[in-house]
Amino acid sequence: MVGDFAVGKTSLTQKFVNNVFSDKYLTTIGVKIDSVMVDDTKVIVWDVAGRDSLSPINANYLVGAAGIVFVGDGTRPSTIDAMSSLWETTVDRVGDVPVVVALNKHDHPDWSVSSEQIIEFSNRGWDVFNTSAKEGENVKSLFESLVHKMN
Amino acid sequence: MSLNQDRVAEISQSLFDRRQFAYFLLDTQWCVLEASNNLQEFGFSNLEVGVDATDEIDFLVGIDISDNHELSMISSPAGDPIRVTFIPSVSTITVVIMDARQEFLRQKQLQQKANENELLLGTQEKLLSEIEEAKIKLELQNVELQEAARLQSSFLSGVSHEFRTPLASIMGYTNLLLKDSDETSANYLSAMKRSSKHLLSLIENLLDHGKFDSNEIMLNPKSTELAEVFSDVELLVRPLAETKSVNFTITTDWQAACFVVLDDSRLRQCLINIIGNAIKFTDQGRVTVVASLKDDDLHVSVEDTGIGVSEEHLKKIKQPFWQAPDTGKSGTGLGLTITERIIEMMGGALDIDSSEGVGTTVSFNVMAPSIEPTFHQEAQVLTQFNRSLSVLMAEDDEDIAFLVTLLLEEQGVKVVHVANGALAVDRLQHEDFDLVLMDLHMPVLNGYDAVSQIRGAGNTTPIVIMTASAIEADKGRAQELGCDGYLVKPVDIADLLNIAQQLVT
Ligand SMILES: Nc1nc2c(ncn2[C@@H]2O[C@H](COP(=O)(O)OP(=O)(O)O)[C@@H](O)[C@H]2O)c(=O)[nH]1
Ligand SMILES: [Mg+2]
Repeated sequence: MVGDFAVGKTSLTQKFVNNVFSDKYLTTIGVKIDSVMVDDTKVIVWDVAGRDSLSPINANYLVGAAGIVFVGDGTRPSTIDAMSSLWETTVDRVGDVPVVVALNKHDHPDWSVSSEQIIEFSNRGWDVFNTSAKEGENVKSLFESLVHKMN
Repeated sequence: MSLNQDRVAEISQSLFDRRQFAYFLLDTQWCVLEASNNLQEFGFSNLEVGVDATDEIDFLVGIDISDNHELSMISSPAGDPIRVTFIPSVSTITVVIMDARQEFLRQKQLQQKANENELLLGTQEKLLSEIEEAKIKLELQNVELQEAARLQSSFLSGVSHEFRTPLASIMGYTNLLLKDSDETSANYLSAMKRSSKHLLSLIENLLDHGKFDSNEIMLNPKSTELAEVFSDVELLVRPLAETKSVNFTITTDWQAACFVVLDDSRLRQCLINIIGNAIKFTDQGRVTVVASLKDDDLHVSVEDTGIGVSEEHLKKIKQPFWQAPDTGKSGTGLGLTITERIIEMMGGALDIDSSEGVGTTVSFNVMAPSIEPTFHQEAQVLTQFNRSLSVLMAEDDEDIAFLVTLLLEEQGVKVVHVANGALAVDRLQHEDFDLVLMDLHMPVLNGYDAVSQIRGAGNTTPIVIMTASAIEADKGRAQELGCDGYLVKPVDIADLLNIAQQLVT
């Protein structure tokens, strides 16, 4: 799970793995590991601390990743813009692995992502999902789609 | 010796046990070769020699290590914060586990605050930009409102301007008729004259209001004898008071020949307005005007024993177009609004104090810097010319043309009338005149264009513009084009003759 801080990486993971959601923001320190079965595949989710004002993303946590979920916050355009540079850091470390994109907080009234942006992501071969960890929208599809790409 | 060796081993074991790290050793197939016995304390269980470590430890799955590698903050299978260091060699990997609880707490505190702050900052920025947007919207609305107000006032001045021309002709002919009429007719005509004058002053008020709204009003301060202003005003309003049983007095505290600098016509306007109102709303009792001059400040109070104004109405009284209901009095409701604005322009303030049924006191002050008296102020007299003047008048309104012609001919002036600018230009090519009177708004060729053609042809005959448009900009334009004078309708024949005397040599 890669993306800026507070975009909903932990929330999407928790919704998918434990079917829970909390409005309270608890910043992730380092990396948190969870595992879940998708069909017959055991998926180990690395919920990595987001890029934030104090530190860049720690690329050590990316080693060994077989697929990436890029998460952006549809209510904060800067977090969507950040994805391209995060991709460069990632591809450096793990190579050209399958990618899905979550444009999260789709339930929020301020959510707004331009269709040009979405087309640009699709053109890179990424599957783009408008997700809501809060309401569960597209959470399953997001992870399942990544697993299918990895298999 | 052996005891000693045991002792050493014991000590080193106890030191090891107290160490803040645990470790295990893996072969290249992730099979556990060796494990420290304190691993459980770090959240690892079941890590016996011979098992596949990836079955027990999720973070080892898929990981691919060829160099020293560190995961500085990760959770143990039991969920405790640990630091994991991988030290690979040819056929083994040593995995060192260290406790990171303290580091976790430290980072958590720092990070949580920092991130929350940044989120807040983002929210704040969003709010600010929303406020900014709202502000821009408001400003736009404001501009629209101002535009609406401007349209309204330009409509007002347009309409009142249109009213002036016919009114000028009504007043002029009334005056002419008054000259030789019997007593009954004279009474009727005087009534007509009063009504026309009233109508004219209402129109002037409307025009002024429009000008205030488009910021076109300018003061024209000049050396003014105060006593003269007050006696003029008294002359004008006393007849009003005398038709009622109202005792009207004016008291001033300055010596004769006291000169100050101010716009006397605007001061007159304010005084007439305020005193006129006082008399209008007082049916019996008195209207007392007290004026004093102190420290270059003219203070005037007008006290009446009239019907007064209720507290509720007092708040609205200065608003444009507002009039107290049920007083049976008429007007535009603009007088006080304009008066207050003029007073403010003159550096003063207007104050109204009133109690219903008892009376009203209106007081104001304006800046009136005193100045050495100037003596060359002569009374205006009708100028007599020692020869017969010839005047060309371009005027499309037949009635006005006829009136001015009559008045001028009475003074021995010869008048040739043409109905538009083109005819005037043509006439001037064949004939000499002492003076040209030029209306501005005319069919075929308007006044401006006519003047520029006349001047363009090298003709230097003095030209006086005569128009119903009292807007200052027109005056400037007329001067630019080379006009010599400017008169606003209804044209005062004395003014016209004065100008003519100055221009005609
Ligand atoms: N409305 C809404 N809020 C969300 C959603 N996902 C996460 N959040 C909130 O966003 C904040 C940050 O979420 P978190 O999962 O901790 O972000 P992370 O830093 O990327 O792991 C938390 O307050 C969440 O409750 C969502 O889909 N909709
Ligand atoms: Mg998180």
